[in-house]
Amino acid sequence: MKTRRLNLWALFWAAAGLLYFFLPMYGTLDFSLRMKKGVLSLLAYQVVLSDPQFLASFRYSALMGVITVIVSTIIFLPTIYWIYLRLIKIRPVIEIITILPFIIPVIVYVFGLIRTFGRPPLQLTLTPFKTDILITAGYVVLSMPYMYRAIDVGMRSIDVRTLTEAAQSLGAGWHQILLKVIVPNLRIAILSGALITFALVMGELILGDFLVRPALGPYMVQVGRDRAYEPAALAMLSYGLTWLCLGLIQLVSKGGTSQQQLTGR
Amino acid sequence: MAFLELHHVSKSFQGSVAVEDFNLNADLGEFVSFLGPSGCGKTTTLRMIAGFEIPTAGTITLDRQDLTFVPPNKRNVGMVFQSYALFPNMVVSDNIGFGLEIAGKQKSQIAKRVAEMLTLIHLEDFGSRYPNQLSGGQQQRVALARALAIQPQVLLLDEPLSALDAKIRLELRQEIRRIQQQLGITTIYVTHDQEEALSLSDRVVVMSEGKIEQIGMPSEIYNYPKTEFVAKFVGQINLLPVEMVDREKGLVKVGEQLVHAGQTLDKVNGHQVRLAVRPEELNPGFRENANNLTGKVEAITYLGSIVRLRVEIEGHSVSLDMFNERKLQLPNVGSPLSITFPVDACWLL
Repeated sequence: MKTRRLNLWALFWAAAGLLYFFLPMYGTLDFSLRMKKGVLSLLAYQVVLSDPQFLASFRYSALMGVITVIVSTIIFLPTIYWIYLRLIKIRPVIEIITILPFIIPVIVYVFGLIRTFGRPPLQLTLTPFKTDILITAGYVVLSMPYMYRAIDVGMRSIDVRTLTEAAQSLGAGWHQILLKVIVPNLRIAILSGALITFALVMGELILGDFLVRPALGPYMVQVGRDRAYEPAALAMLSYGLTWLCLGLIQLVSKGGTSQQQLTGR
Repeated sequence: MAFLELHHVSKSFQGSVAVEDFNLNADLGEFVSFLGPSGCGKTTTLRMIAGFEIPTAGTITLDRQDLTFVPPNKRNVGMVFQSYALFPNMVVSDNIGFGLEIAGKQKSQIAKRVAEMLTLIHLEDFGSRYPNQLSGGQQQRVALARALAIQPQVLLLDEPLSALDAKIRLELRQEIRRIQQQLGITTIYVTHDQEEALSLSDRVVVMSEGKIEQIGMPSEIYNYPKTEFVAKFVGQINLLPVEMVDREKGLVKVGEQLVHAGQTLDKVNGHQVRLAVRPEELNPGFRENANNLTGKVEAITYLGSIVRLRVEIEGHSVSLDMFNERKLQLPNVGSPLSITFPVDACWLL
């Protein structure tokens, strides 16, 4: 009897949680479909998708996302590998460092960036290209907690040291070990980190806004200020993109538990 | 000059000594085991030969080449790990061919060598399986094949059978020896299992607290242990405190009972002396021209093929092993028992 009551409570809270989450989303979806008076239509979506500024900002953020993923992987993968191999004692310190982006507000971080790199000797805000370097570095820092943790979990699931030594005893050098042994066994971890990082860059507002770059986040805010239905359509597109990334993570993770050895486990 | 030489090798980790003044000469094709308890420095020594640790002092030479500071990937030394360490993302064939691929061999050469190795380990049909589709014993065989595929000058095995169950361990032990003899490869084998070391090796190095206690053939190590540690660590031993009676004749007393120690006592002056005798050398009964002791049966333990009697003699517990024959007549616990052993079966430590 007690179990049954517990189950009902669990159902109640699950339903309440789902309503809390989906009701506003349903409201947004419904609103985004009412641009044409009296009928449900995809007009708001058509308007958004045909706006050249949307496409430009989407392209820009997607490109920045891809570059951020590449730079993050190049920085974090060898670093975490080396920590596991030689500096395991400093792992707790690194863990604390990697959560700093959660503790320091992004706005504070952006002002720090602007104050440091907005004037000589390290001025990076004079040209769009240099500002893009700065914004990418910013994205790398903001995505650090996700990328670090994703790779860290992957590293924990394999015996990094023994695999490295086994490869060394067979004649492999460091880059061969990393590329042929470690990376293939961390494929899912890297993919997970990459997709979360990409989603984060696509939705990021403050860096793009304050560094005055044509990113998707500032564009969405701008549209929100000027128009009614399009922001709702944009919000739904943004949700869709994030869910696509999460779905892909689920998909590749599922593959990993099969006999195909995607995870190498 | 020996094929593999470790000359006064030592290793310290932040001031604590792991291996101290280790000297070993292993000949080409020899099978040498490092035997000792956990933390005795056997794996550290093996890792220094592999190149994963750099000695604090001393030199390691292989076929007259100084390897002391050569990185592990330049040594041509094959290694088999306790945890197999197969690459989980590669199928068996790719695992075995990994070293050859790294060496830049042609695909046809790799395929030929992989097939040879699979035949050697009797896993011809398993080339396309992933490591997680194999049993522990099969995985360790693949690890062995992978280490041998590169035709290393020395094969190093770090407790390769520890993670396997008893039956598989026995099978694989014979398999390792067969392959080693077939290929004639110099092999260093690390184990804490005395039975493994004694049954596999040409020579055994017994280690304790970073130092070599004794190097010798298995029969030497078992029958003529040089130190109390070796006597105790390899096999079962009875150690009885004795009093000297006649130094020249080698007579000692266990409590009130006389024993002929089979050696003069000149060498054991100045320290506590103990009589050492293996349980299997003791027999119930009385014999002329042998050592005889009397005591009381304390316990009887069945150990499968043998039965172990614990006999209390002059306040000390002595173990006696008997073959577990079907018609074996056993004394009752608490009953008096005479035991006998030849003079040359015991020695003083």
